[in-house]
Amino acid sequence: MVIAMALYQYAWAVLLAPLLSFVVIVFGTRVWDLLSRPHIAATTTHAEEHAVEAHGSEGEDYGEHGEDDDDDPKVPRLSAGAIASGYVAIGIMALACIYSWIMLLTSVFNRQSLPAGGIDVLHYDWFVQPGGVASYSIIFHLDTLALAMMVVVTTVSLLVYFYSQGYMEDSAGYARFFAYLTLFTFSMLVIVFAENFLVIFVGWELVGLSSYLLIGFWINKRAKPAELRPSPSSAALQAFVANRVGDVGFIIGIMILFANTGTFSFAQLSTAVTHIDKNLLTVAMILVFCGAIGKSAQVPLHVWLPSAMEGPTPVSALIHAATMVAAGVYMIARTFPLYVAAGPAAFGTVAWVGAITALFAATVALVQSDFKRVLAYSTISQLGYMFVGLGVAGSEYGPGLGMFHLFTHAFFKALLFLGAGSVLHSLHHATHREVQDMRLMGGLGPKMPITAITWLIATLSISGFPFFAGFFSKDTIINLTAERSDWGLYIITLGTAGLTAFYMLRAYILAFGGKGGSFGGLWGGPYRGEGQPHESPITITLPLILLAIPSVIAGYWFGFFDYIQPGAPVLNLSTILSDAKTWIGVVVALAGLAVAYTLYCRVDAAKLHAFVQNNALLRATHNFLYHAYYINELYDLLIRYVVLGISHIEQAFDTYVVDGIVNGVARLALLLGRDGRYVETGRVQSYMIGFFGGVAVLAVLVFALVTFGVGK
Amino acid sequence: MDLATLIFWIIAVILVGSALMVVGLRNIVHSAVALILLFAMAAGIYVLLDAEFIAIVQILIYAGAVTILILFALMLTRITGQQSRTNPTNKQWWIALVICTLLGVSIIYAATTSPHAVATVGSDSGQLPAGINNVVRIGQLLYSPTQYSFVLPFEIASLVLLVAIIGAIVIGRED
Amino acid sequence: MGLTLNHFLILGAILFCIGLYGAISKRNAIAVLMGIEIMLNAVNVTMIGFSFFNHVKPYSTYLTGQIFAIFIITVAAAEAAVALAMIIAIYRKRETVDVGEIDIMKW
Repeated sequence: MVIAMALYQYAWAVLLAPLLSFVVIVFGTRVWDLLSRPHIAATTTHAEEHAVEAHGSEGEDYGEHGEDDDDDPKVPRLSAGAIASGYVAIGIMALACIYSWIMLLTSVFNRQSLPAGGIDVLHYDWFVQPGGVASYSIIFHLDTLALAMMVVVTTVSLLVYFYSQGYMEDSAGYARFFAYLTLFTFSMLVIVFAENFLVIFVGWELVGLSSYLLIGFWINKRAKPAELRPSPSSAALQAFVANRVGDVGFIIGIMILFANTGTFSFAQLSTAVTHIDKNLLTVAMILVFCGAIGKSAQVPLHVWLPSAMEGPTPVSALIHAATMVAAGVYMIARTFPLYVAAGPAAFGTVAWVGAITALFAATVALVQSDFKRVLAYSTISQLGYMFVGLGVAGSEYGPGLGMFHLFTHAFFKALLFLGAGSVLHSLHHATHREVQDMRLMGGLGPKMPITAITWLIATLSISGFPFFAGFFSKDTIINLTAERSDWGLYIITLGTAGLTAFYMLRAYILAFGGKGGSFGGLWGGPYRGEGQPHESPITITLPLILLAIPSVIAGYWFGFFDYIQPGAPVLNLSTILSDAKTWIGVVVALAGLAVAYTLYCRVDAAKLHAFVQNNALLRATHNFLYHAYYINELYDLLIRYVVLGISHIEQAFDTYVVDGIVNGVARLALLLGRDGRYVETGRVQSYMIGFFGGVAVLAVLVFALVTFGVGK
Repeated sequence: MDLATLIFWIIAVILVGSALMVVGLRNIVHSAVALILLFAMAAGIYVLLDAEFIAIVQILIYAGAVTILILFALMLTRITGQQSRTNPTNKQWWIALVICTLLGVSIIYAATTSPHAVATVGSDSGQLPAGINNVVRIGQLLYSPTQYSFVLPFEIASLVLLVAIIGAIVIGRED
Repeated sequence: MGLTLNHFLILGAILFCIGLYGAISKRNAIAVLMGIEIMLNAVNVTMIGFSFFNHVKPYSTYLTGQIFAIFIITVAAAEAAVALAMIIAIYRKRETVDVGEIDIMKW
């Protein structure tokens, strides 16, 4: 018991581990790297040397991939410092991951060892307002919710780090990449450990910053309008700005809560909010949810997530599985008691936003041809499920429902992304071009067996195929909407499950299978691209294999709800299997899979394409979905005409009114001076008139006042 | 009406009349001559007020020196082409008239209505000790190093005069 | 009725205003100077008048008004000397003694 307490007390080590690696990389290995660079020949001038240093700041030189000059610089060989940076990050993260797993297992098998309310692992009073009105504290808190999330974050981070070794092997900025990754993990852990809104907001913004840095990592890459792909730098900017929009609501919500209760702490808030007016609390919680909408890419702030695909694929995996988008879900789970206090309106908002997002994103994902973009929309859709889960759970189930899906989703989504990255990496080596279009893939199964099999596992898991992880977490959510008699939500989530199965298997077949392959087209088939792709190196495939395991078994943690919130129902395999609703879900999922199989394995791709193009309605629908309901374009117009219009008006206001007043005052002074100087005639007698005239007026005034008694 | 009052009125009328002549005459030389009359009449007022020394000084300095100085200046600065009207007024004369009227009315009003710290009626007796006349008393007040006197201001005044002499020479020098 | 202080104060006021009128309205600089001399004399009249009507011992024996008048005369003499020198100097440079034309102080 004592040992267990000590174990938890040092949990802050997990939090600080990525920060430590960040510091070591930035100030240690990178500096070493710079210092140990071979010096340029003495003939170069001083200025040139500086220029070279500035460009190859990681000690690497530009590669010679002349044809894709819009790609970021590649290097033939990593320097020792850069490699060491990766090792530092991986090593430290491995320790943190092991430590968090130990803590998780200890708390699972010895439920009493961790107090029900959790423990503060670090408490620092930043400043206390005199009189005890309010205190602003930095508190890091460990409870079961944080622990479950922490395990996900550290595990996925570790595997992504490991994977990045292989994926980024020839990319310039290798050390910088690892520094950003560790910063990203640290930011997310700040959110995980946060005990009050103050800390969570700091973590929130840190996540925003690091995602900005990572999405825009390939700073030299240009936009590809033909494929609807923005440049990484503008994608990073879009992510940042979209998050700011949500953060406005978030921060207003926090302020409302703080103004009415005087505390940021979740624990104190959950008791204090009972005194707040319920409507006000509902408004506040919906505003807080706005932050989650931005961070977790829900409609209408989802636009940044597909664009964020421009970042390196490991980053996408990290964003989608563990760090960025999970933050919104985790935050709602963390503030769950406040939503309980706020009542059904707040929950309803969460659930419906989630449901609409799930359906919307699933429909868009149906037709995407970009490999990563399908996954992006599927993430949006699955996040919608999580919010539905949080929204319908109520106090009985607690936040476990949404968190469970987050937990399982983290593994198979990371697997999907890393697998996709493996394919892209392989194709890049084969074609020396960046290929993300699934129409240029196909039949990769036999060429990349490990990737294909693990990807298939993840596909089945996300589709809700029975006995895979996603089946348990997703079907529980869908079934609960039915149990709550929320038929609208039920139909949407159920339909979305079918769509999910369809588009995921479609993506799999387009990449790895095709008509003519074995197993009826599921394995192999014609390869539509160039070159000879082959399986990725072990650094890439090992994380895939490791992730495939939890993608199957993570769903079997039936006590998850109870673990997150003691007293919540425990799942039971036989109950699940004997429930008719479960089988309805399975049938829908299987139907989705079957349609995908029929369309893409049995029918010629060209024929299908021609069929869609020849039917006006289908073509229009296809375009509509392919452009994601034209929401990006809509925002573009909105910003171009409304926001910029308002800005122009405000600018005009600033130019003509504000500046006008300021300049007007100056001009007035100038005018007064220019025209008033003629008063100064230079003739003494005018001055005498002024002087004695003033005296006369004053004298008359004084005597008039004195005489008529005004002054008395 | 006693003699002093009679003399006052006579002198006052001449004084004001000569002042009006100074500002009113068209020939500036005539104005200067009227100025001499004005200074002389002012000296008469001083005598009436038992200030014999100042009356003498007035005659010496004003009626003598300053007027001669002014006449010399007039001689040196002849206004060409305006022989008949050498003392013209400018365009602001009516403003000056308004201001002066207002100011004069205010001062007269103030003088007649406000209470004075000094008596309004003079008495011939007792201003000066017996045996000491005005000149002697002024001398004591200006030069005495031992009793109450204005010896320091007096010395400073002599310095002012020195500066004025040198200044006048420097400014008026032909170079 | 005998002479009162007001007689002299009013006389001084009238003289002062006449002098002021002359100083403001005349074009000839020497006439302006004459107006100023009238104003100074007007002040002297009031000064000496105050001195005469002061009966408070021992202040009345100090003849402060008269002493002031002496200093005013001194300063007036100095002023007249300097002013006339300036007028002549300006006249030599600009061939005029019209105060309205002498505006080198302007803007």
